[in-house]
Amino acid sequence: MTPVPYCSIFTALTPVLILVIGAFVALTLDIVRLRRSTMTVRNRTLGMVSILALLGAAVALTRQFGLPGPVTLLGQTLVVNHLTSLFNLVIVGLTILTIVISMEGDVGRHVGEYYATLLFGSIGMLLLVSTEELITIFVALELTSICLYILTAFHKGALRSQEAAVKYFMFGAISSAFLLFGLSYVYGITGTTNIREIAAQTTSSTLLSVGLLFTVVGFGFKVAVVPFHLWAPDAYEGAPTPVAAFIATGSKVASFFVLVKLLFIGFAGMQGTAFCYKFSSGWTMLLASTGAASMILGNVVAITQRNIKRLLAYSSIAHAGYVFIGFVAATEFGATSVLFYVIVYALTNLGAFGVLAALANRAGGDDMEHFAGMARRAPFLSVLMLIFFLSLAGIPPLGGFFGKFYLFAAAVQSESTKFGLLWLVILGIAMSAVSLYYYLIVLKHFYIIDGKDKSRIQTPVYLNTALAAVAVAVVLLGLFPEQVLALLKGLVAQL
Amino acid sequence: MTIPLGHYLILAGIIFAIGLAGALTRKNAIIVLIAIELMFNAAILNLIAFWHYKQFAALTGQMFAIFAISIAAAESAIGLALVIAIYRHYKSVDVDDIKSLKG
Amino acid sequence: MNVHDTLFWFFSIAMLLCGVFVIANRNPVASAMALVLMFLFMAGLFVLLEAFFIAAIQVLVYAGAVMVLFLFVIMLLDIKASERRRFAFLGVFGGIVVAGAFVWEMRIILSQPVIPLQSGNTDLSAGLENVVKPLFQHYMLPFEVTALLLLVAMVGVVLLSKKDLK
Repeated sequence: MTPVPYCSIFTALTPVLILVIGAFVALTLDIVRLRRSTMTVRNRTLGMVSILALLGAAVALTRQFGLPGPVTLLGQTLVVNHLTSLFNLVIVGLTILTIVISMEGDVGRHVGEYYATLLFGSIGMLLLVSTEELITIFVALELTSICLYILTAFHKGALRSQEAAVKYFMFGAISSAFLLFGLSYVYGITGTTNIREIAAQTTSSTLLSVGLLFTVVGFGFKVAVVPFHLWAPDAYEGAPTPVAAFIATGSKVASFFVLVKLLFIGFAGMQGTAFCYKFSSGWTMLLASTGAASMILGNVVAITQRNIKRLLAYSSIAHAGYVFIGFVAATEFGATSVLFYVIVYALTNLGAFGVLAALANRAGGDDMEHFAGMARRAPFLSVLMLIFFLSLAGIPPLGGFFGKFYLFAAAVQSESTKFGLLWLVILGIAMSAVSLYYYLIVLKHFYIIDGKDKSRIQTPVYLNTALAAVAVAVVLLGLFPEQVLALLKGLVAQL
Repeated sequence: MTIPLGHYLILAGIIFAIGLAGALTRKNAIIVLIAIELMFNAAILNLIAFWHYKQFAALTGQMFAIFAISIAAAESAIGLALVIAIYRHYKSVDVDDIKSLKG
Repeated sequence: MNVHDTLFWFFSIAMLLCGVFVIANRNPVASAMALVLMFLFMAGLFVLLEAFFIAAIQVLVYAGAVMVLFLFVIMLLDIKASERRRFAFLGVFGGIVVAGAFVWEMRIILSQPVIPLQSGNTDLSAGLENVVKPLFQHYMLPFEVTALLLLVAMVGVVLLSKKDLK
């Protein structure tokens, strides 16, 4: 019996512990001190408390970069290396931005619970990133999901919010059952729940493939790819906008990161092929077909949407499809491009949702008509929206373009003798062109169509600053993509 | 004993299929939740059967089962709370009645 | 046929019957009661598999706590039996697809080489002590995370099911 290294566990978990304390402080402060205060005071105070906790966690995370090497504790249930620290930082950053958006928006009457649940959700995501063991992955994923179900239903008065939560929950719970069933086969065949040991044991067992299939289906629900996407449009539309932003960014970053670990490390021996001249069973084939279906359906259905949150939901389905191209490449460059794209996508989408949340309250809704003539009413935020939407569409100098470029490059390079994955790349490029159309329709409402209401919209300075920072990050990712990619490449190589 | 592992796996597979069928076809939200519990239980049976038959050195299978049971319980509690919240609005738990979101 | 085999067949057939009854019955209370029975038979299977602790948990948590929760909500909302439904084409089609997938999966399972049961490893099936020890060592992290998860679930349930005072 080996002694448990409590001290190093404590060090590795400091960011999480800070967040737990922050969540408790937010909960109790709300009950003890703030019951009689106005909504604005409660919202701002508790938001600041949560942001302070997240900043503390961020400091603790940056200190982890100083560690001499990767740390593996408790039989891989806790792994700290530079890549996990980086992604934990990304998730903490996304959570901070979500909270900044929430401080202005309407989050219902239970403010303390709102911020506490948000922090617990981000704890789940942090743990999801820093583990290489199936049980912990399952538990952390459930923690995240349960927090997101609750957050979706936070507009207690609004029917749409409750309804979105029920739909999200039903699909989420079924997907969890699929995931658990798949993981039980994986455990049963390999005899271990440790991702690295699974890789060492991979035998070509058909039952293991069934397990892999169920696991991928489970994750397919979580990242919303066709045909497991049905919950996404309703959940995005009905949930409070900051929560929709969190579902679309934070949870996807964490889920994609786990999927990278699971597929590229755990099931490295079972990728099969998805080349146009040769399909053989394995997870690349599975991901190639669902990814292609997502790109087509997401982009085509998005064209008909009038509600911008719904449009962003379909566009995120399409983006999950693009990300799968990087998975299908099944190379180290593929994994790197996936991680790069996920970061760019999360920042851009969060920015877009942030602008939407800031403006929707004052514009009276989140349908396209409400945003007509917005460029004159809120010129600054409209410029930011322009940047985010052009990045989502993949226009060259912005981050989104290089994200897609690397995904497609990885797919082409992975099989460069006969260009077996070219079909997927061509589909991706064609669908990007389609997506440009609906992104431009939204921008047309912002910039060209005149609205009835011409009054100026004032938004608080801190919100503008935060969203501007996101926009700057998106532009910088577009200006210096090589450096970021090289950094990620180095970190992925250590994995 | 002569019952092979395959029997348990097939049993778990059938229960999972029954649960899935219930979750997809039934309109009563509470029955859907019950069907999801069936699916979780099938996975737990798998875990225990594998653990027993393959005599894995560690108790991982049982651990996984314990975590799965506690999470399934928490999840059904959340699901029922959501059903109650929906019932307040609609006076119904029929999934077909819940359709104000469309597109 | 020895006792073990007989019990296996009894438990599994009873469990399947209960499972079908659970999802086919139109009265939610009857469904829930069938589910309790099903959980008990499942616990019986766990005993056959020498997972005594899981069997106890199954009875306590599922047949006890979770079922009380379900029954309580059914009674609270006073849900009547649903009326007979129309023939849902999409549902039937989906059902056939799913059933086909499972038949395919069964074929795979049956084609697996039979895994022989090795001689009993006594310290595995030993008492409670061995079962719970890993929870505080190897699986400490998921254990603590589960605690957080239950807390969040509790906060969420109170929040969601509470009637907001205007």
